[in-house]
Amino acid sequence: MSQLVTVIHFSGHQYLRHRLVLSILSGKPVKIDKIRPDDKNPGLRDYEVSLLRLLERVTNGTVIEISVTGTAILVKPGIIAGGTVVHDCPLSRSIGYFLEPAVMLAPFSKKPLQLTLRGITSDDRDLSADLIRTVTLPHLQLFGISEGLELRIKKRGAPPLGGGEVQFLCPIVKQVKTMNFVDRGRVKRIRGIAHAVRVSPQFSNRMIEAARSVLNRYIPDIYLYSDVYKGEDSGKSPGYALSLLAESTTGVIRSAEAVSVPGGTPEDVALTASRALLSEIRRGGCVDKQHQTLVLLMMVLGSEDVGRCKMGEPTPRTIQFLRDVHQAFSTSFKIVPADKSEQGSSELLFSCYGTGYVNANRTVA
Amino acid sequence: MDDRQHKAHRPALSGAKAEKKKGKGKEKQHGYNEKAFAPRSGRRAERQGRRNIERDQTRLHVPLVNRIPDDEPPPVVVAIVGPPGVGKTTLVKSLVRRYTKQTLNHVQGPITVISGKKKRITFIECNSDLNSMIDIAKVADLVLLMIDGSYGFEMETFEFLNILQTHGFPKVIGVLTHLDLIKKASTLKDTKKALKKRFWTEIYQGAKLFYLSGVLNGRYPDTEILNLSRFISVMKFRPLIFRNSHSYMLADRIEDLTPREEVRASKGKCDRTVTVYGYLRGTNMRPGTKVHIPGVGDLQVKSITKLGDPCPLPDADSEKRRKLSEKQKLLVHAPMSDIGGVMYDKDAVYINVPGSFTRGSNEVPLGEGERMVMDLQDINTTLDDAVARSQIKLFGSSSKPLAVDPGPSRLHSGSEDEEDEDEADDMPEDEDDEDEFEGSEGEEEWGSDAEIEGDEDEEEEEEEKEGGRGRSAPRNVRRGTGGLPSGHDRRGKAIDFADSDSDMGDFDEDEDVDDVPRPGGGARVRFDDEEDVHVQSDDEDEMDEDKEDVPRWKTNLGGRAQAAFEEHSRKRQRNWMKLIYSSSLTPEQIVRGDSLTSQGQNKDEAEDDFFTIKSKGTVGDTEEELDMTKEKVDPEALKAWEDEELLDSIRNLFITGGSGTGDAGGDDGYEDLESSADFVDLEAQTDGQEGATASGDPETAHSVTLAAKKELLKKKFDEQYDDPEDSKMDFYEEKKDEIARQLQLNRAEFENIDPEARALVEGYRPGSYVRVELTDVPAEMIENFDPAYPIVVGGLLPAEERLGYVQVRIKRHRWYAKTLKTNDPLIFSLGWRRFQSIPIYSLDDHSIRMRMLKYTPEHTHCYATFYGPVALPNTGFCAFNSLAGDAAGFRVSATGVVLDIDRSTKIVKKLKLTGVPYKIFKNTAFIKDMFSSALEVAKFEGANIRTVSGIRGQVKKALPKPDGAFRATFEDKILMSDIVFLRAWYSIQPRKFYNPVTSLLLSDKGRWSGMRLTGQVRREEGLKTPLNVNSTYKKVERAPRRFNVLKVPRKLQKALPYASKPKLMKPQGKPTYMQKRAVVMEPEEKKAIALLQQIRALRKDQAARRKEKQNERKEVHRKKVAKEEEQKSEKEKEKRKEYMRAAGMKSKREADKEEGRSSKRRKI
Repeated sequence: MSQLVTVIHFSGHQYLRHRLVLSILSGKPVKIDKIRPDDKNPGLRDYEVSLLRLLERVTNGTVIEISVTGTAILVKPGIIAGGTVVHDCPLSRSIGYFLEPAVMLAPFSKKPLQLTLRGITSDDRDLSADLIRTVTLPHLQLFGISEGLELRIKKRGAPPLGGGEVQFLCPIVKQVKTMNFVDRGRVKRIRGIAHAVRVSPQFSNRMIEAARSVLNRYIPDIYLYSDVYKGEDSGKSPGYALSLLAESTTGVIRSAEAVSVPGGTPEDVALTASRALLSEIRRGGCVDKQHQTLVLLMMVLGSEDVGRCKMGEPTPRTIQFLRDVHQAFSTSFKIVPADKSEQGSSELLFSCYGTGYVNANRTVA
Repeated sequence: MDDRQHKAHRPALSGAKAEKKKGKGKEKQHGYNEKAFAPRSGRRAERQGRRNIERDQTRLHVPLVNRIPDDEPPPVVVAIVGPPGVGKTTLVKSLVRRYTKQTLNHVQGPITVISGKKKRITFIECNSDLNSMIDIAKVADLVLLMIDGSYGFEMETFEFLNILQTHGFPKVIGVLTHLDLIKKASTLKDTKKALKKRFWTEIYQGAKLFYLSGVLNGRYPDTEILNLSRFISVMKFRPLIFRNSHSYMLADRIEDLTPREEVRASKGKCDRTVTVYGYLRGTNMRPGTKVHIPGVGDLQVKSITKLGDPCPLPDADSEKRRKLSEKQKLLVHAPMSDIGGVMYDKDAVYINVPGSFTRGSNEVPLGEGERMVMDLQDINTTLDDAVARSQIKLFGSSSKPLAVDPGPSRLHSGSEDEEDEDEADDMPEDEDDEDEFEGSEGEEEWGSDAEIEGDEDEEEEEEEKEGGRGRSAPRNVRRGTGGLPSGHDRRGKAIDFADSDSDMGDFDEDEDVDDVPRPGGGARVRFDDEEDVHVQSDDEDEMDEDKEDVPRWKTNLGGRAQAAFEEHSRKRQRNWMKLIYSSSLTPEQIVRGDSLTSQGQNKDEAEDDFFTIKSKGTVGDTEEELDMTKEKVDPEALKAWEDEELLDSIRNLFITGGSGTGDAGGDDGYEDLESSADFVDLEAQTDGQEGATASGDPETAHSVTLAAKKELLKKKFDEQYDDPEDSKMDFYEEKKDEIARQLQLNRAEFENIDPEARALVEGYRPGSYVRVELTDVPAEMIENFDPAYPIVVGGLLPAEERLGYVQVRIKRHRWYAKTLKTNDPLIFSLGWRRFQSIPIYSLDDHSIRMRMLKYTPEHTHCYATFYGPVALPNTGFCAFNSLAGDAAGFRVSATGVVLDIDRSTKIVKKLKLTGVPYKIFKNTAFIKDMFSSALEVAKFEGANIRTVSGIRGQVKKALPKPDGAFRATFEDKILMSDIVFLRAWYSIQPRKFYNPVTSLLLSDKGRWSGMRLTGQVRREEGLKTPLNVNSTYKKVERAPRRFNVLKVPRKLQKALPYASKPKLMKPQGKPTYMQKRAVVMEPEEKKAIALLQQIRALRKDQAARRKEKQNERKEVHRKKVAKEEEQKSEKEKEKRKEYMRAAGMKSKREADKEEGRSSKRRKI
């Protein structure tokens, strides 16, 4: 009798990353069609192809079939191999675009992943390398992935020419821990990194000043680091950015960032970042909106116990992610308002029963 | 004998003796003498203490999570295993009789009985087929291993124990039977002892072994069975890792659901739809997982339905008693055992007609006729009553029924009810009609759902709830043909406008009302879609009403929409589960707050929806095109933060912000920081507190907070001062506590959501009796179904559905007679599966390479890699060369554990390339015949080569002629006769061969045969092995090697010093002096020589005679020995004859037994 292979079917170019991640983790082949069929330039973009390349390199035995027009792909995932991988990211997207799926996959690989990515380290679309280092990786620690988890920013690269380089080291785990995170606590400290490359180092100081002007009214414990890269390490284009994170008493980390725009001032950037941080704090929940998918994924992959997490309202990405998770792992979340009695609160309590995902790729002995 | 009464002993009641006795007794009662056990020295005390601690440590085991629910655990699977004729069926019957007081005639399939207030047992008898033994070993919690005491252990027993070991080793109790066949008491004692010893070495020292004496009334003695049942009931089970991570089920019933017509049309060959029934075990079974039935294959689960427990645990009232009530005792569930579908209950005999239905199972597709009958059953009022009571609501949301004058309404409703029956049949057409009208998606879904469900109850409920909705459209059509004027017209228009309605403020509340009573709206299949529809219809209805006062509707359009949105996003609690999992809204729509009534909101687009959709699409393309993590920041939204009030409003979210009661979540953040006490406890408190805080007015809230704080402080104080040692747990305790807490949370989290949503979120829990519907089941499974073979439904993890290369550590079983050879097929039992695959054996060669082995090594592990279904690393397996029952010897050929899974392998085997020199310079030589082209040479440039004599060298460069020749350098000059070779490694892949053992599909289940070996095929087909002439061994002709003489030129010779000069001389041509001289003797000399010759002759003669004498003596001895030999052989013959006679008798008895077993009537 032949093996029944269920192919998960998706349409549209959106959410390509987490769909591929889910496919690789669940081992189910995925077929994605209608990738920009009506566009002037139909089919996959260069960065999407590059992402597929990266995933092919990180895994072993993955078969990727792209249709002639590029508007449909079929991915038959292999196993996550890990090891040392070097990848040059195209300049159309920043490193964050590639690093996020890598972060989701890396703990479940056969060998610890050492991924070197070259390209743009921060832009306004994806998480910057700074935020991934200071916010995303601590989120993994909630699930017991900590020893040897590191992101090194070797060089910075601002858009449009990039030239940055980061190195991502991730250990492997057998199984992620079940999370139970419902107490958001209160913000106890604010940290931030202001970096400026190929511009006057004063810019970062100006950003810090401006951010402090907004945030100082709340809390005195604010440290904003000025991080200036020089020479070779500063990439090929000028740029500056500010990334902020607020940590609560219970370890909740919320983040926001803003990057330079042509013609803007450092003060504008700082104000945008700090106000975005404030609105993020106001949203509530134990996980900020950029990391909802990561946390939910790890909850699904946990042992066969109930994991709970309090979050703000889901973003469209999260909603689609939940639907895709349901398709890939047939796991649904119980989503209820965190405190029913309170009217104004939009906090939701996500709880799910983990699938008991075990890292089958890991070698014993 | 002698009946004389002995005088009873009368103990002294007073006196010294009584005193003494009393003292002794008291002392004994008192316990032990402390002095007696006190250590004699400090060192001894230390040693004793250490020993105690060590003993305590051995008691500890790695804490494992027990996922079996406490409230309603699945029945314990007790498997009865043993060789044929050992008394398995008798034991099952005896045990069932013990528990249920019923006598079974035929024991087949699992038999579930209630053994206690919280305990049930499923008995299953395992036949002696190896496949069944493997399957049983994977599901049994307790094995009653039966051994024929009069015979001893048999091969099957040991094989089964080995299978058990590799699959997690459940608990085993040995049962010795046929002990009555041993007549002599001392033999009996010795036999028992010997068997026990062997049993203990096989399981563990002290393993329980039961002795059952003879059979009475076809059962074992009641006392012995009672004892055995007591042992079974007190048995504790440690969770096994594999079963703790997989859900599984031992099917106790199987039904074929395929339409008969389809079966008939395909002559019984079509794939079947099959339902299997049983208790779930292991972990939760999620809908949508795949299952594997060993012996059949991987199957897709179409649906899982929880059914009423056929063998329920005693309920609350009987639980008050200490013992199980007699009534409860009589329950037995054994659907396969009752041939002819007869089931016994306390005072009735049930005849179970296959294909009967239960009202509880809603999702079984029913036939038309059945539905009609069920329909009739459901009616509990007369038609007249129904008509009298019927009310018509015009719209689902209208609060009052339509009050129409009795005459027409009566007529109308009557017709409605009449239509009721064929409602379901009409459904598809109805739906079509609706589609024509509205093209709304929700309805379509609803329609099809209803079609599938076909459940009248549900439908009627819906209809009642939703008023006219369900049947409005068809009836409209009918009315249209009837020529009813206004109503239909209006409705038609209304539907046209359905998309454009925007008044959501009103119906919003309606929807709220609907939402509230159903907290777990995530149940997808059942009512969400329907609700969806319901709301939509509201929408239409509202709009119907609105349409009458158009001006009002149009006036404050924007304002109201805005207000509605505000209110909606803030106040309304949306059912996210429903929105996400069972609505077809896009994520963006959900986030924007479009409810299910979404379309109405986009009022601007509503004017001309054709164009707007298009424009929206294009806008979306440019803006939302990218898959971004960070959302675009809206500068306008951030502008809001310039407002001081807003800035201040979030002050309480910071630790410096003071405790505002408005935000309860942040309240105790500070305390957390200070106390940093137990996380979960705190959180639990927080929850309680939150509720209280929010509910009451600020005053009470404050007091509550204070109380909570006090409580917390008190707890902290207690922890610190009461018993600081006690609160500190060691690692083991901590882990156990953690597990217990998580289990508690698991139970609590989904306690009060409705069962269907619960099943969606967490799956079906172990212990529930479920019906699993499987599709595309091979027809042979049903055709050749035999209840004596267990059906195990094993749930698969996502990783296990794939195929890949599996690397295992393997060891040939030391009792398996042959060695295992690479590329010979082997049958594995791994995970749930049994399959045949082709392994390649290998060993790690200095951690550099995996080197192929042709054969498995003796008594040591090696690696094996094969292509097959993936199993998680650390899963144990056992392997067989043949599963046939008639295979001689021990059948388990290897055991091992999975190490690694991959999509490629790195096994290499040694390859030697040889070549010969065709031209030799000093240290350089030209080598040919190693490669065939210059390209190949280029690939091997710099490679090390060697001659047979051990001269090492290197490949340098290819030569133009002949092809494949190359230049090589050596450390010394090589000879023309030398063979040069290059050692290389050639990577090999295991063959992609995977052949599941489909034993359950065969009519003769023990006769499965997989791929055969070439030799086997040749033998069976009578073919000769083809012989390659070049492969035959020939005698190696080695001509003696001739070396040329060393010629040193004369000139050089001259120049050499004497010592170095070659001193070659010609062999002597002339005879030497000693050779050519003549000897002439003197007379004395002649005499002396003659004398000597005579003496020698005499001596010779003497020796000859002596020899002759000796021979004579020897002859006599030889004869004697021969005679003895003959006697001995005679004896031997006799002995053998005796033995053979015994063996013959035994085999005859065996045959008798066999016969007896088949006729179920054993003579004792």
